[in-house]
Amino acid sequence: MKRGAMTAVQTAIATDYERIFGPKKIAIVGVSTEGAGFGSGIFYALRAIGYSGEIFLVNPKGGTLQGEKIYTSVDEIPGTFDLAIIAVAARAVPSVLEACLRKGAAGAEIISSGFKELGTAEGIDLEDKIVRIAARGIRVIGPNCFGIYCPQSGLTVLPGPDLSRDSGPVGFSSQSGGMAVDFANTGKSIGLTFSKVISFGNGADLRETELLRYFGDDPQTGIVTMYIEGIQDGDDFFCALRSTARKKPVIVFKGGLSDAGARAVSSHTASMGGSRMIWQAIVRQANAIQVYDMSEMAQTALAFAMLPQHPCRQISVLGGGGALGVAAADAAESFGLQIPAFAPELAQQIDALLPKPGSSPGNPVDVANPFVLPEVLKKVLYLAAEDARIDLQIFVSLLSHYKNLAVKNGCALAQVMPYRELADDFKEVMRQTGKPVVIVLPNPRRGLDHLDVVAALTEARQVFIENGIAVFDDLTECLRAIGHVNAYYGGRAHE
Amino acid sequence: MNEETARQVIETAQRQGRSALSEYEAKQVLAAYGIPVTREVLVTGRGALAPALAQIGFPLVMKGCSPDIAHKTEKNLVRVDVRSEAEANQAFDDIAAAMNGSGGVLVQEMISGRRELVMGLTRDPQFGACVMFGLGGIFTEILKDISFRKAPLEKRDALEMMSDIKGHKILQAVRGMPAADRDRLAHMLIAIGQIGLALPAIAEIDLNPVILSGDRPVAVDALIVLGCGLRHNSTR
Repeated sequence: MKRGAMTAVQTAIATDYERIFGPKKIAIVGVSTEGAGFGSGIFYALRAIGYSGEIFLVNPKGGTLQGEKIYTSVDEIPGTFDLAIIAVAARAVPSVLEACLRKGAAGAEIISSGFKELGTAEGIDLEDKIVRIAARGIRVIGPNCFGIYCPQSGLTVLPGPDLSRDSGPVGFSSQSGGMAVDFANTGKSIGLTFSKVISFGNGADLRETELLRYFGDDPQTGIVTMYIEGIQDGDDFFCALRSTARKKPVIVFKGGLSDAGARAVSSHTASMGGSRMIWQAIVRQANAIQVYDMSEMAQTALAFAMLPQHPCRQISVLGGGGALGVAAADAAESFGLQIPAFAPELAQQIDALLPKPGSSPGNPVDVANPFVLPEVLKKVLYLAAEDARIDLQIFVSLLSHYKNLAVKNGCALAQVMPYRELADDFKEVMRQTGKPVVIVLPNPRRGLDHLDVVAALTEARQVFIENGIAVFDDLTECLRAIGHVNAYYGGRAHE
Repeated sequence: MNEETARQVIETAQRQGRSALSEYEAKQVLAAYGIPVTREVLVTGRGALAPALAQIGFPLVMKGCSPDIAHKTEKNLVRVDVRSEAEANQAFDDIAAAMNGSGGVLVQEMISGRRELVMGLTRDPQFGACVMFGLGGIFTEILKDISFRKAPLEKRDALEMMSDIKGHKILQAVRGMPAADRDRLAHMLIAIGQIGLALPAIAEIDLNPVILSGDRPVAVDALIVLGCGLRHNSTR
């Protein structure tokens, strides 16, 4: 049986993930001294992000790059190295990989393309050669990938010189290199930090299922995210998904789902069991979380990273914005959340704090005016938290309206927008009440005349995140992310 | 459970080069795995009709039964609520004529109940045997209110797929009808998964409808499609 055979090979050679993700010495094979090659690109990226280990460059022509000696072959490198980054032409890859194996490298990222993805006999043959060499004792990431980003070790993906060095709980494996880079950048923008991001491309050797198990066991990873197109072994993947989801949240973004119909079938069951339905079932059965685009994956990971590890089903929604009450109620229901109305006495106390007219004190609480002082909002949040049913509070911020105040007062936006006070106050509310506060920070002002609003809200987001307050752009997205967290911890409670 | 019975039924069909079981055969396979099915007798000649009627009792259902006809209603081969011997004789002649002498006529107990469910099995190219549950009868195709789980199913999986469908309230006590027996439904779904794992020759199964007779589910119609008997190919 295929699976048995594979497992035998893999257990025979223990994978040294430490050396692969935290290499002390890296060989970059295929650097060119002229033009913008992938090899020199990754060299610049590693330097820019501040990788502090030793780097050996290899090109048969020799010479130097940025003052660094270029060896003419892998064999010429003195001693051993931990990780090879291979960016030579596809045809040359097997012999380079062979040399890296001889040198005792633990792993190799093969950035080069020109393999199975072409569908040509030559491409398939070259990839088979890689698989066979890998089985003899070197783990391969790729080919046709962007490599590994690991903020702790300073390893970065090909187009990733500008990624964050802050480590965090999110592990991401991606069949798509572009998705790996985009997700790492999205994370940096919204306050999501990573343990490792692995672009595994064609997945000739290391791929979705093994990386899922690795992340499951990796103490630095608290949240597992993955983008997959095809999987190698459905049964094995399902087992790995289920066992990993028992340890930590797993967020699955499956690309290329189809409704049935392509296959010739006779029963209703088979005609309705397209990959869309079946993937939904598989992910749910394993108590993992399925998302349908990268933004949802990022928002969901953020919610898992910042919210408590239990369901928060009853929420209060406070703040303002278009049709807040109706929008919140509509969205909440579809994600299994409730916004219970406050008791009349509590609503009265809240009402006494709010500006008139236009405000409404029930739940949701519409504060009506964007300029209500942070200290008043703090009091409202304290009161709302007194309702024992409330597990979590969402504040929908109207900070973008401060632009008008800044213009009126003839001062800079940063001088009037009170996000630091809000962050301090909300942090205090969270600490005192033990109930998380989440901020929704919509920005309808994004034109060229409002770049100061964009900048100020970006700054505000960072301050909130630093204070442990999760931030979302949109209320519906926020509720959806909380719904995912609830589904996961609710499902785990039943196990 | 008598797996041997199920295997024999399938082997017979395979020997005859058929790609599907008849309803009668399908129910034998299902019953071998403890799935509740209608009481029924297969009648191939007019002479055997009277004893069959006596055994099943009126009112009853009569259906054309052949592995070649998967969707019987569309071919006008079903008579429900047959209440007398005269009606039964007429129905037998009509159905036999419509079938041009192939197959037989199934004389079946009539299960009354207004709630119809569907269960089934498909083989996903990547994940293998997957069990389906959903709203049955004509709503299966119209609403597609269904959920799947990969076999083998744990009881928890089976119970979850019942609450996954939008119309899950149909299983509660409604309009004077009792709440469905979820344990029994779960047992059926688990058994379908077991069939999928034990009998690779089976490619697809439909139990449609499964009617709730009071709180008890009974498979009223069944289709089993045979495949080449290969295990699923997990590399795509």
